[in-house]
Amino acid sequence: MKLRIERAALLKSLQHMQSVVERRNTIPILSNVLLDASGAKLALTATDLDLWMVEHVAATVEQPGGTTVPAQTLYDIVRKLPDGAEVELVTETDGRLLVRAGRSRFHLPSLDREDFPLMPDGDLPHRFNLAAADLRRLIEKTRFAISTEETRYYLTGIYLHAAKTETGTTLRAVATDGHRLARIETALPKGAAQIPGVIVPRKVVTEMYRLIEGADDDVALSLSDSKIRAEFNGAVLTSKLIDGTFPDYQRVIPSGNDKMLEVDAKAFAAAIDRVSTVSTEKSRAVKIALEKGKATLSASSAENASATEELAVGYDAASIEIGFNARYLIEILGEIDGESAEFAFADAVSPTIVRDTTDQGALYVLMPMRV
Amino acid sequence: MPIRRLPDELISRIAAGEVIERPAAAVKELVENALDAGARRIDVTLAGGGQRSLIVSDDGHGMSRAELLLAVERHATSKLPEDDLVNIRTLGFRGEALPSIGAVSRLRLQSRARGAGEAWALDVDAGAVGAPAPAAQPGGTRVEVHDLFYPVPARLKFLKNARTESGHASDAIKRLAMAHPNVAFSLVDDERTVLTLPTTLGDQSEQRLERLGRVLGRDFADNALKVAAERPGVRLSGFIGLPTLNRAGAQWQYLFVNGRPVRDRLLLGAVRGAYQDLLARDRHPMVALFLDIDPADVDVNVHPTKAEVRFRDGALVRGLIVGALRHTLAEAGHRASTTVGIATVEAARPAFFHPGGNYGGGSQPRLADAMRFQAPSGMAAGRQAGYDAPAGRPEAVAQVNGSAYPLGAARAQLHTTYVVAETADGVVIVDQHAAHERLVFERIKAALASTGVARQLLLVPEIVELGSAEADHLLARGEELAALGLVIEAFGDGAVVVREVPALLGDTDLQGLLRDLADDLAGFDQALSLHDRLSEVCATMACHSSVRAGRVLSSAEMNALLREMEATPHAGQCGHGRPTYVELKLSDIERLFGRR
Ligand SMILES: Nc1ncnc2c1ncn2[C@@H]1O[C@H](COP(=O)(O)OP(=O)(O)OP(=O)(O)O)[C@@H](O)[C@H]1O
Ligand SMILES: [Mg+2]
Repeated sequence: MKLRIERAALLKSLQHMQSVVERRNTIPILSNVLLDASGAKLALTATDLDLWMVEHVAATVEQPGGTTVPAQTLYDIVRKLPDGAEVELVTETDGRLLVRAGRSRFHLPSLDREDFPLMPDGDLPHRFNLAAADLRRLIEKTRFAISTEETRYYLTGIYLHAAKTETGTTLRAVATDGHRLARIETALPKGAAQIPGVIVPRKVVTEMYRLIEGADDDVALSLSDSKIRAEFNGAVLTSKLIDGTFPDYQRVIPSGNDKMLEVDAKAFAAAIDRVSTVSTEKSRAVKIALEKGKATLSASSAENASATEELAVGYDAASIEIGFNARYLIEILGEIDGESAEFAFADAVSPTIVRDTTDQGALYVLMPMRV
Repeated sequence: MPIRRLPDELISRIAAGEVIERPAAAVKELVENALDAGARRIDVTLAGGGQRSLIVSDDGHGMSRAELLLAVERHATSKLPEDDLVNIRTLGFRGEALPSIGAVSRLRLQSRARGAGEAWALDVDAGAVGAPAPAAQPGGTRVEVHDLFYPVPARLKFLKNARTESGHASDAIKRLAMAHPNVAFSLVDDERTVLTLPTTLGDQSEQRLERLGRVLGRDFADNALKVAAERPGVRLSGFIGLPTLNRAGAQWQYLFVNGRPVRDRLLLGAVRGAYQDLLARDRHPMVALFLDIDPADVDVNVHPTKAEVRFRDGALVRGLIVGALRHTLAEAGHRASTTVGIATVEAARPAFFHPGGNYGGGSQPRLADAMRFQAPSGMAAGRQAGYDAPAGRPEAVAQVNGSAYPLGAARAQLHTTYVVAETADGVVIVDQHAAHERLVFERIKAALASTGVARQLLLVPEIVELGSAEADHLLARGEELAALGLVIEAFGDGAVVVREVPALLGDTDLQGLLRDLADDLAGFDQALSLHDRLSEVCATMACHSSVRAGRVLSSAEMNALLREMEATPHAGQCGHGRPTYVELKLSDIERLFGRR
């Protein structure tokens, strides 16, 4: 293999590669990136055996061929090369990879490309296109609610599916950690009506998001019952899905909550943040007392600190007092893009709904705390 | 069979069986007599585990010829002057020990009353009292017991081997010796001196600690905390071990009431109560506690060998013990036992240092052990993974001056499990999981005490499959769990559904938590109080939300952990009684290298 390639293009791709590669590996070759040059392209592949990232980058290939080298080291080298450099990659007779740019030379140990695990093939029958901005929104507004608890593996991803509503079918992303839930929907793309409901693992969500960061083009998504693939700008990410059943989330979204509160999302979040400063516990409980036109936030700590703050709010229903984990509230309010957030309460022990008044496709559910 | 009156001899033997059930019991009675006689030195000699012969000689006030004759008569005692069973200040009071021993052995007494010109001897053979004869006894009393139990062969059969019997005798002597540090003791067993306890010097508590150190070992003396507390009519004193100095059995708990060794349930329960949630259920502290109480407030006449006592106000005594011990332990704060560090050094030393200068040869296996102790294999992984994290930020570490803090400044994290800190005069190694578990536990307890535990209601309730017995166990204690923030309900056969969780735990492994709780509750001793159970549950909860081994900590996190440990009571051991850190003094390390 012998080729020349733009540093910027190689760097961007290697960034994707090294992020797929796990920091600790018991199988040495999984720390490596597979390089394969043919035609006018260099193909890079990295995997953790669940997730495969393949990317094609334009290159001047003088001699086709391939090898595998440590992804992290190659990434670090290319990162430190000067802007605008041209990088030359050459496999040497002793099996090492020569990396040359300007007057720098590096020799990297390689492992046999024949040993690099092959991506299991399989058909991904459902295919549709989604604007990168739409996919970003689905991810951004749900991922805070993904569970980190590995024992509830079926909650450690985003549940993506086509949902029937009164107004038609939409594409939905749902995440919950059992304490709160985020449900974001977007117009159903063509070809997505029949997709199976799938749970996309957190790591895939992260890599997918990284891939489309700042871009506006369309992402092509393909799905089967067990796999997902995202294709974008020459990069292909393929991954296993979480093999589990996502809970029937519709059942926990109440429909009869009638105590409506409208607040300025930013001001409300800032007030909650201020008041909860005094609570030293990880749970950071904050109490909200609502009466006509007024909300009183309060918090206290076991060490006897306390805080209160009053806000003028849009509230017209019967008085109610309800406690929440301040962090949960702030995180949800942080997802409200519009000026105001609308809360719908039932009572102090039932799920509360939060909506963005300017985005009917976003809905959050938060379970209160007993304080 | 017709009813008949038993002959006197038989009655004595039956009575003797109650008081003297093994050689150690005879030793105990005879040593008590010597102590009651004001002896300053007591020597005991055993042969054949005390069965063949046991001899107790003292330098007490002795007995006259007439007293000798009275001493072996049943219910003859010099110790209840006003026939007052209420104000007993001596160890003996029944006048039963000598006649009982005499009924079941060949007994020989030799004594010279203080100030008397002549000494007398008296023999008793299986209850038959001989005639006093002049003897050559320089002073004090010598009691010889030969062929114990020879008239009751049935009893002989129940004796264990000689070594076991001498062990019991030795224990009996040690117990009495602990309470009388100003008396010298010796024990010779089959011509081997197995115990020498010289009289001690200093004030009462210094004397006591020295004696305790000799009897219980240096570990105890080095890791003991002094206890002193008083209420009207009762005084508690003595020493208790740090929780990290624990044992598998409760036999290392020595309790004395007015100088009398007892094994009393109320007292043992109080000790256990004081150490609860500092020790695992199967670990026990070492303590030597002395209760001095108005004799009128305690009944020592409730047990044939006087091992149990009854207090007029048990709650007062229990409260005094629990309160005093808790206070003492809390003041000790994060102090952990030095035995841990010293044991570590001992484990490592022999392989490195051979005083004989022989570095090879017969010591191969030990060398291999020591190499394993160094665990070089794990080291490589540690260097790749966690080790470089703290080392990468030397500036942050440098800001903390190790000598300013008891637990020093964090220098490194090893194997992403241990935090190594440098102190003014040594090295501290902290088990990050155990330490954090303790801190979380104390926090949960503090929250519980002040405000109650805040509960997060679950949007998606968690169903946990357990066995039906386990599920029942958990559900039966539902209210207690709810007070701790965990609300569960039955969910079909053998399963429970979790509706609310302690907000402190965040997004946590509920399956694992409930299984462990079920195990914990199933294993509980019914006699434990409600609070014991809650604390146990707290410990489990703490364990589940603590920083695990394997997590990389920054140097700031490590120092924060050390500072919080210093500020938290009981931080020296985790909820299960294991130490949270060990300290190697520089002197220990120097010993490792043979520099001392
Ligand atoms: N070593 C001794 N030195 C001096 N007097 C002794 C000694 N041993 C026994 N005596 C005398 O003999 C009496 C009887 O002893 P014995 O042990 O049988 O009864 P006790 O000690 O009075 O009561 P208990 O049965 O509760 O031990 C004692 O009261 C004491 O006066
Ligand atoms: Mg006696």
